[in-house]
Amino acid sequence: MSNNTNALEIVDLRAGYDASDVLLGISLHVGLRERVGLFGPNGHGKTTLLNTISHVIGPRAGSIRFMGEAIDALASQKIVARGLIHVPQANRLFPDMEIMETLELAAFTPRAQKELKTNLECVLSLFPRLAERRRQQCKTLSGGERQMLSIGVGLMCAPRMLMLDEPTLGLSPKLKDELAEAIAEISSRGIPLLLVEQDIAFVLSLVDRMYLVDHGEISREINRGAEVDHQDIMDMYFGSERA
Amino acid sequence: MTSDILSAIIVSGIVLGSGYALMASGLSLVWSTLGIFNFAHGVLMTLGAYLAWTVSDAAGLDFGLATGIAVSIAAMVGVGILIERVVVRPFYDHRDILLITVMTTLAAMIVIQKGIQLIWGARLKQLAPIMPGNVRLLQTTISAQEALIIVLAPLVLCALWLFLGRSRIGRAIRAVGQNPSAARLIGIDVSLIFIIAFAVSAVLAGLTGVLLGSVRLLTPEFGAEPLVKALIIVIFGGLGSLSGTILAAYIIGLLEATLVFLVGIYWAPSLIFVLLIFVLILRPQGLLGKVVR
Repeated sequence: MSNNTNALEIVDLRAGYDASDVLLGISLHVGLRERVGLFGPNGHGKTTLLNTISHVIGPRAGSIRFMGEAIDALASQKIVARGLIHVPQANRLFPDMEIMETLELAAFTPRAQKELKTNLECVLSLFPRLAERRRQQCKTLSGGERQMLSIGVGLMCAPRMLMLDEPTLGLSPKLKDELAEAIAEISSRGIPLLLVEQDIAFVLSLVDRMYLVDHGEISREINRGAEVDHQDIMDMYFGSERA
Repeated sequence: MTSDILSAIIVSGIVLGSGYALMASGLSLVWSTLGIFNFAHGVLMTLGAYLAWTVSDAAGLDFGLATGIAVSIAAMVGVGILIERVVVRPFYDHRDILLITVMTTLAAMIVIQKGIQLIWGARLKQLAPIMPGNVRLLQTTISAQEALIIVLAPLVLCALWLFLGRSRIGRAIRAVGQNPSAARLIGIDVSLIFIIAFAVSAVLAGLTGVLLGSVRLLTPEFGAEPLVKALIIVIFGGLGSLSGTILAAYIIGLLEATLVFLVGIYWAPSLIFVLLIFVLILRPQGLLGKVVR
């Protein structure tokens, strides 16, 4: 048995699309009960990083270990079967399927099927609005409802770790608060979390630790409680003009 | 128009429609799952009928019709998987998969059709009917086999409907058709689903061939005309909608029977095309279609 203390461990990961490299050697880790944020401007590799971890795209170099085992060569469905669940950005899910059908289907892997009943209860109590609209088709949902369903689908997969990509993208402040509560509730059950967000206040309210991603690399690591230097963040977005 | 003629038209229209519905539903399934048209679908129907003939007929292996049909249907699973592997799978990541697979599935169609001609020759063959004799229906006499097709088609389509709507694999097929990347992220093996969709579709084609193989004569071109009809039906019914496909199959069947009566067998097929063009001008998305993805 390894004395591994991390849920996710990434070393020098490189990946990209076609001729362009997007991730230029990323190393990070997420502890077994830890909530970690990824923060940084658009187009700097956060979504690519999640896509590489869940093997939507293949890594070009580096290693990814989940619960102590290498997963960088595994196909997406095998990674899901191990319980590393990626809830993608602005997921439009399955437009013609009903909410309940989608949630039941999401418990697809054998492990998830065994937990179907308990996870379904958990999702419906976490998002009562989904319970009210159970017969409604995904394409008729509002942005907030679709985001709830996306997270619900992630929970139906029986996660041992969740990766959420901008769960509050385009939502009103009120809905953001609702989702933040739900996410906090999920992670309070001991599910480690990797959260990508643009809203710095939102990330900081939810995570123990945060990485700043800049041009395909980790530029800084910020612990909770540490003062966030707003100048640093402004620099990241607008470029440093100080000599 | 006397009631005799009317009922004859309706009955023969329903017979046609049932065959079309079985045929087109397989084509529709592959379209809505993979977003491609399988032009080899018609020749799969031919192959299914010839395989059943070889195993069952006295001039072949003479194992009886039940064995012939069973062997044929089982073989279609393999043929469907093979087609997917050889002419579709290499192009999944290609931007122009739709156009490329038009060519590759057409190529597969030609190869299989010529292969059938080589193996079985051009001489006409016919399967024994599952049910011999005649049946009277709505003051019209049809063969019992045709009556069987009328009854069996809705049952098979209902089974397909339940499979896609209720079963875990069926739902996964629909999910992959609607959003493959989201399907992958809930643990569905997308390429396995593609194989299953192709296998189910090939079985439907083989089943159509086995059922029609005793009503019509078998030639290597046996499936060519049904393929064209099935293409029309899938488009007319609305791409991606199985219920639209089934509805369209029966409408086209009845329309064809009516036109055959009114203008004769020579002009009926062309007129169906003309009418289809008018329908698509008025309703480009087809009967129950959604906006094409």
